[in-house]
Amino acid sequence: MASNSQATSRLYKETLLTGLWRENPVFRLLLGMCPTLAVTAAVKPALTMGLSVIFVLLCSNIVVSLMRKLLKPHLRILMFTLTISTFVTIADLFLKAFVPRMSETLGPYVPLIIVNCIIICRAEACASKNTLAVSVIDALGMGAGFTLALCVLAGIREILSTGAIWEVKVLPIGFVPWAAMSMPVGAFITLGLLLGLVNLASKKKT
Amino acid sequence: MPKAIKHFIEQSWLLIIASFFFGLLIAVTNAAWAPRIEQNKIRKLNRLMASLLPKATEFELEAELEIKSAKGKKIKTKVYKALSEADECAGYCFNASGPGFADKIELVVAVDKDFQKIAGFDCLASNETPGFGDRIKLPPYRNQFAGAPAGILELIKTGDAGKIDSEIVAISGATVSSEAVIKIINNSVAQVKKQMREKGLIGDGK
Repeated sequence: MASNSQATSRLYKETLLTGLWRENPVFRLLLGMCPTLAVTAAVKPALTMGLSVIFVLLCSNIVVSLMRKLLKPHLRILMFTLTISTFVTIADLFLKAFVPRMSETLGPYVPLIIVNCIIICRAEACASKNTLAVSVIDALGMGAGFTLALCVLAGIREILSTGAIWEVKVLPIGFVPWAAMSMPVGAFITLGLLLGLVNLASKKKT
Repeated sequence: MPKAIKHFIEQSWLLIIASFFFGLLIAVTNAAWAPRIEQNKIRKLNRLMASLLPKATEFELEAELEIKSAKGKKIKTKVYKALSEADECAGYCFNASGPGFADKIELVVAVDKDFQKIAGFDCLASNETPGFGDRIKLPPYRNQFAGAPAGILELIKTGDAGKIDSEIVAISGATVSSEAVIKIINNSVAQVKKQMREKGLIGDGK
C-alpha cells in the first residue's frame, strides 16, 4: 500500500486522526447513538463503556483483518457479528467478575455493544480491506474518538446534574442541580448542542 | 448430492471453524470467571441483607421454599437466617417478587426472628418509572416498613409516613408501584411464615 516508511507512518497518523476527529464516530458519523445517550449520565460508566468498546473494536478488527482474504462476500456480515458477539460476551463477563457494580449500572448496554454500528462499520469499511497494522490503528483511533465523545458528554451532564465530576464535588455548595440533565432529555439536549458546536468549529476551518 | 455438500463446505468452512473456536473461547472465559461472578452475587446479597438487619454478622441459608404469587405463579425463594455476633437469630431474609408497574419487581425482605415485624426491604431489580415509581427504592418510602407489623400492611393515599404502623403512605403519582411492593411483601411474608412453621424452623409464637 505505502511505497516507503514515511508514507506508511503518514497513513497511520491519518488513520488515527480520522477516528479521533475528522470522522469521530459520535460527532461526525453519528454512529452508536444508543450507548451515547444511555450511559452518559456520569463519567465513570461512560469511560467503562468507552473502554469496553475499544477492547471489542480492537479484537474484532484484528480477527477480521487476519481473515479478510478468506471471507466469502455473502457470509461476511455473519462472520463479523459472530466475532463481535464473542468479544462482547468476554467483555461482559469481565465486567461482571471484576467490577460488578459498574456492570449493574451499565445494565443491558454492554451486551448491546454487539449491535453497536461503529464496530460493524469498522469491520466492514476498514478491517476487511486493510492490513493488520492499519486495522489496529483504526480501531484505536475510532475507539478513542468514541470514548472521548462519551466522556465529554458525560462530563457536562454529570457536572450540571450533580455538581460533581468523577463523583468529586467541583461546583460551589449553592449550586442547584439540574435534575433533567441526568434524564434522557438531558442527553438529547447536550448531544444536540455539542453536535452544533462541532459543526460550527469545522465550518470555520474550511 | 455430494456436489451440494462440497459446495456447502466450501462456502461455510470458515464459519464452522470460527463458531467452534469462538464458542470454545467463551466457554473457557466463562469457566474461569463464573465462580467470581457467583461470589459477587452472594456478596451483594449479603451486603443488602446486612444493611436491612444491622445486628446480623452472618447469614446462612435456612430453607429453599416455593411460594405462590397473587396470581398463582410459583416463585422459588431462599430464606436466610441472620445470626448476630452472639450467635443468636437476629431475623430472616428472603427474596420475593411480583408484578410492578412496568416490569417485575424483585425484593429482599427482612423480618424479625418471629416473623412478627418487618425489618425492611430493598430492591434487587426493578424497572419502575424514573422519578415516580422508582422512588420505592428511596428511604422516605422504605423507612415506613422498618418495624411495621408483618403480613397486614395496607396502602393509604395520605397520612403520616413517619408513623410506623400497618398503614403505608403511597408515593404520590406512583400508587401502582407503591401497592405492588406491599402486595409482594404481604403475600410472601404470610407464605414463608406458614411454610417455615410447618417445617418447624420457627417457633409457634402468636
